Parts: sequence; C-alpha cells; structure tokens
Amino acid sequence: MQNKNNPLSPHLQIYKWQISSLLSITHRIVGVINILAITIICFFSLSLLLGEESYQIINNFFKSFFGKFVLLGLCWTFSFHILNELRHLIWDLGYGFDLKVAKITGVIVLIGSFILTILFYLIGKNIF
Amino acid sequence: MVQFNLPQNSKIEIGKHYQDKTNSKNIKKVNVYRWDPSTGQNPRVDTFEVDMDTCGPKVLDILFKIKNEIDPSLTFRRSCAHGVCGSCAMNIDGVNTLACIKSHTDINGDLNVYPLPHLKVVKDLIGDLTTLYKQYESIKPWLETEQTGEEKAELQQSQKDREKLDGYYECILCACCSTSCPSYWWNGDKYLGPAVLLQAYRWIQDSRDGDKKERLRKVADELKLYRCHTIMNCTNSCPKGLNPAKAISSIKKMLATS
Repeated sequence: MQNKNNPLSPHLQIYKWQISSLLSITHRIVGVINILAITIICFFSLSLLLGEESYQIINNFFKSFFGKFVLLGLCWTFSFHILNELRHLIWDLGYGFDLKVAKITGVIVLIGSFILTILFYLIGKNIF
Repeated sequence: MVQFNLPQNSKIEIGKHYQDKTNSKNIKKVNVYRWDPSTGQNPRVDTFEVDMDTCGPKVLDILFKIKNEIDPSLTFRRSCAHGVCGSCAMNIDGVNTLACIKSHTDINGDLNVYPLPHLKVVKDLIGDLTTLYKQYESIKPWLETEQTGEEKAELQQSQKDREKLDGYYECILCACCSTSCPSYWWNGDKYLGPAVLLQAYRWIQDSRDGDKKERLRKVADELKLYRCHTIMNCTNSCPKGLNPAKAISSIKKMLATS
C-alpha cells in the first residue's frame, strides 16, 4: 500500500480491556510511582540531617489525612509491584502461561495486593 | 513513537443508519466500520438493523446478510468460513477473532465490528498486512538444511521431536494476535509481534532444521524480541487457542540458557 492517506484503524479506542493487559499497564504506572516515591523517601531521610525542624514539616504532612492517604497508597503500589513482579519472574521461568492460570494468578495478585496493604497498615498501627 | 490518539484523517464519524424493513421482532443492531478510499472522507460507523430470524449463527453470516440484502458495497475478506484460512480476522466486540467462528449469540447488545487494530485501512474491514508479511519473510519460514536436493533419503523426524511443534504449527497467520498487542501497535515497524515470533519459534524448534543458532542469533534483538512485556493480549485473542506469549517466553528462555 503506497497511499499514505489511508486511515489508521482504531486500536486503544475500541480494544476491550483484559485482566492481563490491565494488570500489565498498572504494573508500569505503579513502577514509575514507586521510583518517584523512593526518591522522595531518600530526600526525606536526607532532610533529617538538617535538624528536627525540617523533619517536623514532613511529619506534619504525613499526619494529615492526605498524607495518610498517600502513605497507604504507597503501601498498595509497593505490594502490587512486588506481587506482580513475582508473577513476571515465574513467567520468565516458563510457567503459568496457560490462559486460565494467568487469569487466576492475576486475580490473586490484585486481591493479594490489597491484603498486603491492610497488613502493612495494621503492622504500622501496632508499632506507633 | 507512541501515539494514543488517532490521526486527524482517521477520526471516526457517525455514519448512516439502515432501518429494518422486514418488520421482524428479532432485530440486532450491527455497527460496522466503513471507509471508502474513493470518497476522501473520514471513516464512519454505519448501523445496520439485521433481522436475526433469517440469519445464520456466526458474525460472518451477519456480514454476508448485510452485503446481500442491505448494502452490497460492504467490503471484507473471507474465504473458507470454517476457521482454517484466517482471512476474516477482525475486531468483533472489542476482541480480535475470526468472524466465521465467532457466534453472535455470545454477544449481548449491539454488535461492533471493526478492522484489525492499528493497521492502514484498505477499505472497510480490510487492513493492510504488508509489514507483517515482510516480517514473516525475514524469519525465513522454511527449512534450512545442508541438503542440495540431490539426496535420495528423506529428512526424518522422531515422533517425540514432531510433538515439539504441537501448539505452534497450527498457526494460520490470521494476525489476530499481532494486531491485539499494544507493543506491536507502538513499535510495529521494528518489533516482530506475537504471530511472527511464534512462527520463528516453530522453526527454531524443528529438529530437521540446521540453522537453529543463526535463527536464535537473528531474533535476539532489543526491539525484535524483547518488546514483548507479557501483556498476554495475543493469547487472549488467538482464535485457534494457541499461546504466542509462551512461544516468545520460550525463545527468551533459550537465549538466556544457551
């Protein structure tokens, strides 16, 4: 086909989301968020060197409702990424490609990530 | 380059609405992607009201009914009508499959029919697969042997070696998997895509082939192979129930362990 004016058939606009593709894109987005989060945590640790005051500012933020929401959100993004990465590692070993198995492991990862988040939250509650 | 939106000339407009003339009570609305190269207009989606009482069970039967009774200009590829040739691959109800083996009774509500995703449209439901065929040619889909053709003996294969091709030789190259893959949408010019990689694996696995190392070396490429991120859309869409994702993973594993 030489004609450059031919239209491109629709893709993202019409393709139905599968659980596998949904988890795949979530894995990517969550990965980016995690890298940003780790960077911010590093800066947070560095700020401790500047004394108690700078620590207090961030601590106040984490104590606010929005701060708590962010922390809980990060618990979920890390849980999800860890579990789904495990799934990817198993795939790399050559197992779990059967369509049914892949769907089941996908659902397990999704439910597991929320359970892990709740666990993180409860452990945090007991310590503080 | 990743472009999520459709280019300006590909934006879909609302098309014609063909009302039912048979006064049937069993009506299905069928939305079909249309583009006519002779008009120079943007693609549109036409809605056909089809009388299901006098229609066969498959989506291809609906398309034929529309072509025969409502709009003869509707264009689509088809040949065997039994899921063997792979000509009628299209996007039905959001997933790529063969129109001839997809039952329309499986689909609730309106039926949406589009060409295979992210291809240059030739007309209506026909996408241009030239790139895919060129990529297929690049993996040399034939036996490479030392034989000259003068030999009297056959190239023999044990039953066990033959079984290694099961689940791969059945591929009919309908392109459902490749055009369902987001990685192939964004990097279709460089990434080989699930269909071609499954074929590549089929030839790597063939015990009679003498070019295994060269085949592996050629496919081991950041763009050609490793753009597969195990999204699994390919396996989800394969109308023959094959597993391209597994084939690609097997190639990766071979490369990692060789």
